[in-house]
Amino acid sequence: MKARNKSNKDLRLLADELVEAGLKKGADEIEVTIYDGREFEVVVRQQKIENLIEADSKYCSVQIFKDKRKACFRTSDLGWPTLYSLVEKAIIRADQTQPDELAGLPQAARYKVDELSLNLFDPSLVELKPEEKINLAKETEKIGLADRRITNSFGASFLTNKIKTILVSSNGFSGEYCQTYASLSLGLQAGRGNQLVEDYWFSSARHIKDLSSPEEIARKTVHRTVRQLNPRKIKTQTVPVIFEPMMTSWLLAFLFHCVSGQAVYQKATFLADRMGEKVGNERLRVIDDGLMPGKLGSRPFDAEGVPAQTTSVIEAGILKNFLCNTYAGRKLGLASTGNAEANGIGPNNFYIERGQTPPEEIISSTRKGLLLTRTIGHGLNPVTGDISRGAFGLWIEDGQLAFPVSEIAISGNLNEILNSVDIVGSDLDFYSQICGPTIKVAEMTVAGL
Amino acid sequence: MICARIALNFLLWVVITMNKRLMRDSVCSDPNRINSSLLKKVLMTALSRGADFADLFFEYRTSLSILMEEDTIKETDETLAMGLGIRVIKNGRTGYAYSNDLSEEKLIKAARSAAAIADQRKTQPKGFCFRPVRVKNRVARVDKLATASPLHEKLDLVRRAYQSAMNFDRAIKKVQVAYGESTQHVWILNSEGLSIKDCRPMIKLTVHSLAEKQRRRESGYYGGGGRVGLEFFRNSMTPEAIAEESAREACLLLEAIDSPAGSWPVILSPGYSGVLVHEAVGHLLEADFIRKKTSIFWDKLGQQVASGQISIYDDPTIPGFCGSYNIDDEGTRPEKTLLVDKGIIIEFLQDRLSAKSMGKKSNGHGRREDFTHWPLPRMSNTYLAPGEYSPEEIIHGVKKGFYVGHLSGGQVEDSGKFTFSVTLGFLVENGRLTRPVKQATLIGSNLDILQQVEMVGSDLGFGLPTATCSKDGQQIPVNDGCPTMKITRMTIGGQS
Repeated sequence: MKARNKSNKDLRLLADELVEAGLKKGADEIEVTIYDGREFEVVVRQQKIENLIEADSKYCSVQIFKDKRKACFRTSDLGWPTLYSLVEKAIIRADQTQPDELAGLPQAARYKVDELSLNLFDPSLVELKPEEKINLAKETEKIGLADRRITNSFGASFLTNKIKTILVSSNGFSGEYCQTYASLSLGLQAGRGNQLVEDYWFSSARHIKDLSSPEEIARKTVHRTVRQLNPRKIKTQTVPVIFEPMMTSWLLAFLFHCVSGQAVYQKATFLADRMGEKVGNERLRVIDDGLMPGKLGSRPFDAEGVPAQTTSVIEAGILKNFLCNTYAGRKLGLASTGNAEANGIGPNNFYIERGQTPPEEIISSTRKGLLLTRTIGHGLNPVTGDISRGAFGLWIEDGQLAFPVSEIAISGNLNEILNSVDIVGSDLDFYSQICGPTIKVAEMTVAGL
Repeated sequence: MICARIALNFLLWVVITMNKRLMRDSVCSDPNRINSSLLKKVLMTALSRGADFADLFFEYRTSLSILMEEDTIKETDETLAMGLGIRVIKNGRTGYAYSNDLSEEKLIKAARSAAAIADQRKTQPKGFCFRPVRVKNRVARVDKLATASPLHEKLDLVRRAYQSAMNFDRAIKKVQVAYGESTQHVWILNSEGLSIKDCRPMIKLTVHSLAEKQRRRESGYYGGGGRVGLEFFRNSMTPEAIAEESAREACLLLEAIDSPAGSWPVILSPGYSGVLVHEAVGHLLEADFIRKKTSIFWDKLGQQVASGQISIYDDPTIPGFCGSYNIDDEGTRPEKTLLVDKGIIIEFLQDRLSAKSMGKKSNGHGRREDFTHWPLPRMSNTYLAPGEYSPEEIIHGVKKGFYVGHLSGGQVEDSGKFTFSVTLGFLVENGRLTRPVKQATLIGSNLDILQQVEMVGSDLGFGLPTATCSKDGQQIPVNDGCPTMKITRMTIGGQS
C-alpha cells in the first residue's frame, strides 16, 4: 500500500494496488484506468483575451466483474479511502444485478503496439509558452477581421491538451501512453441587419508542425463565411448533392454509429443483418485504423487494453466488419476490433479512402445540384438510416457555383446515399478522427419553398 | 456559436446532481477537508494580480446509473466528481482554472493561473469577510433523496419499465431502460463576501423501445424525472406509463409514411414543441450573444419581433422541474423572467458578467455543467404563455397541413436560422389528424416564423422532462413548453 501516502505521484502504482485490492475484496476480474490531463485554452475576441483556462485534472475509471456480473465506477477523487470504498460498493452492487455469461475482460493480447512508432506526443507543444499560444489566436483573428466583408467575430481559440492514460487489469495487461493535442479555430460573422451569416474553421493536430497557419485558417473562415452572403431560397426538388469533406465526416459519424457492434446486437441499426452484403457503391472503401502514425485517432491500445489495429469496414461497397469492443464482439461471435471506449465503442481513425477526382472537377461535372456546406439540427435515425437536416449550401448551375442557398432541408436514407455515391474525391485530409473526401451523391430531396 | 437542445437519442446519459446527507454519511471522500479559511486564501490569491472580481465553485457530486437490456440488468455505474473551479474577472475578461486535487498547494497554483488574466503586478487585494447565506429550497420536490433509497427499489423500477414496454405489443422486440440519479452539492463563494451552499437532487428513468414488423424497424423513446425523489414514479409518472409512451411511439412509427417536403401550414403540438421557443427565441436572448452583438436580437430590446399573441417566460423556480434551481451557479437567486411580452422583447437572460457589461443585475441565469466550466447565460424552463384558442379550433381550421407531434431536438445559430427535428408527426387533412409521419426536419428563420404564428392555443404543456441543452460544449438540464400553435407556413424537409 505504498501508493496511499504518495498522493498522486505514482499513478501506475496506484492502479496496480487498486487491482490487487479489488481481487482481494472478491472481484473475479478488475480493470483500472487512470487519466491524467493538462489543458490550456485561450479565446481571443476582437483582439482581446476573453477567456483563459488552465487546469490539471485526473480521474480514475474502474470496471469489476464478479460471478459474471458487472459494476463500474468513476471518480475524480483519487484518495485511497475513496477508491477503496468505491471498490467495496461496486462489489456489493454487482451482487444485486444479474449474471451475463458474456461479461468479462478480454484475454490479454500476446503483443503490444509500440507507442513511439505511433508518434502521439509532441514535446515542443508542451513547451509552448502561454504568450505564444495567445499570439497564435490573436494573429488568426486579426487576419480574419481584416477582411472588410467580416462584420463580427465569435473569437479565435487555441487549445492544447496533454493526456497520460494508464490501464492495468487483472488479466495481466498493464500499459500506459502519453498524447498531445492542439487546435486553433476561428468563427466569424458577416452581413448586416437581419441578414447575418456565420461559419468557422479550425485545424487540429497532435504535433504543432502539423497545425495549419493562422493565415490559412483565417482565409478559410472568411471564405466559408462570406460565400453564404445574400442567399436565395429554392423550390423543393430532387438533385445531385455534393458533400464537402466536413459534410462527408458528418455522414461518416452517422455511419460509424450504424456499424458499431453495440447498435448491431441491439438491432438498433439498419445495417444489423447486412454483414457480407452490398451496402454501398463499389467505389466505397471505409476503414477504421488505430495505427496511423501521428493521426488524431491513433492509440497503442483501446480502453480494454486491446491492441490497435486496422479494420476494413466497407470494401468495394460490401459490409466487411462491425466495429466492436470485447462485449459486443462476444455477442456477435466476432473478435474485438480495438474500438473499446470508456462508455462503449468509439472510432480510431475512421475514414473513407480517397478517390481520384479533384473536388473542382466534381463540381464542374454537375449540371444542376447542391454543394452541401453545412447542416444544422439532429434528424439522424440509426434504426432506419433516415436522415433529415436543416442545410446550407451553394447552388450549382452548369458546373459552376451560382449562388448560396439557405433555409433548406435535405433528406434521404443512409442506405440509399451509400449506394448512390457516384464520385469519391481526392481531397482526403485527416483533420479529425472521422474524415472523408468530397463525395457526390446521385440524388437527394432538397426541400425549400 | 451554435446551440442545440438535445432531447437525447443516442446520448444515453448526462446525469447531474447531490445531497447533504450523503455528504455526511459517505465513508468515501471527505469534502469537509475543504474549509472556508483555505477557500479564502485561494480567493485572495485569485485577486492578487488586481482582479475586479473572483469566485469559487466547489462541487461534490455523486451519480448512479443502471442499465437494463436483453432481460438483464447489465451494469450499475457510480460516479463521484469533486473539484473546485476558480474564476477571475478583469475588464470583462475571464481567467479560469480548476482542480480536482484539493491540496492547498494545488489550489493556490490553480488560483495563480486564473489570476494571470489580470496582468498587474502584485497588488494587495481588498479584504472581505464571508457572509454565509442559507438557501431556502423552493425547487427540489423530494420526500426522501433517491441516493438514500436501497438499490433494489431502483432495480425494481427499471424491471417494471422493461417488462411493461416488452408487453406493450408483439411488435416490440428490444427494450433498453436506463435509470440515473445524481446529487450535486455546490458551495459558491465570491470576492463580494458571498458564501452560499445548495443541494440539487435529480433522477430520471428513460426507455428506448424497438419495434419490428415485416423487416421494418422503428424506435421510440420516452423518459420521466426531475428534481424529485423516487416517489415521483409512484405519484406522478409510473415506470409503466413511461414505458408505454416509448413503445407506443415505436409502434406508431411502423405505420408512418415518409414526410412531405416543401412549404406547409404547420401545427405544433403542446409540450414537445417548446423546442421552438427554446431555439427560435431563448438562445438568442442569452446575454452573452447580445453583449457580443452576434445575436440577431442584440439591438432589438423594446422592439416588436413576434406576433402580439406571443409572450415568453423563463422560470427557474418551477418545483420538481429538471431545469429548476434554487440558486444559479454564481449563487444568484433566480426569478421568473418575462422575456417577450406580447411580441416585444423586454428582457435578456443574464449572468453576472454580461449583466455588468450592460449596467444591469444578473437575473439568475448563470449556469455551468460542472466545476470544470465557467458559467454562461442559459435558459432553465422556458415556455410560451397560453393564448385564447382551443386546440380543436386550431386543428379544425387547417385543410391540408403538417402536425408536429414528437421532437428529438433542435438547433439555432446567431443569425436566427433554426431547425427542429420531428420524430413523429401527422398529416392534417380537412381539419383532422390522419396518417402518422416519420422523421422530418423543419427549418426557418426566427424573425420570419415568429411573425407567422397565427394562433396560440390555451393548452400549455411541457416537453420531455429529461431534456438537456448544449452550448459551448456545456450540457445542462432544461425544460420547455408551449401550447398548441399554428404557423402559416414553414419549410419541411421530407422525402416525398
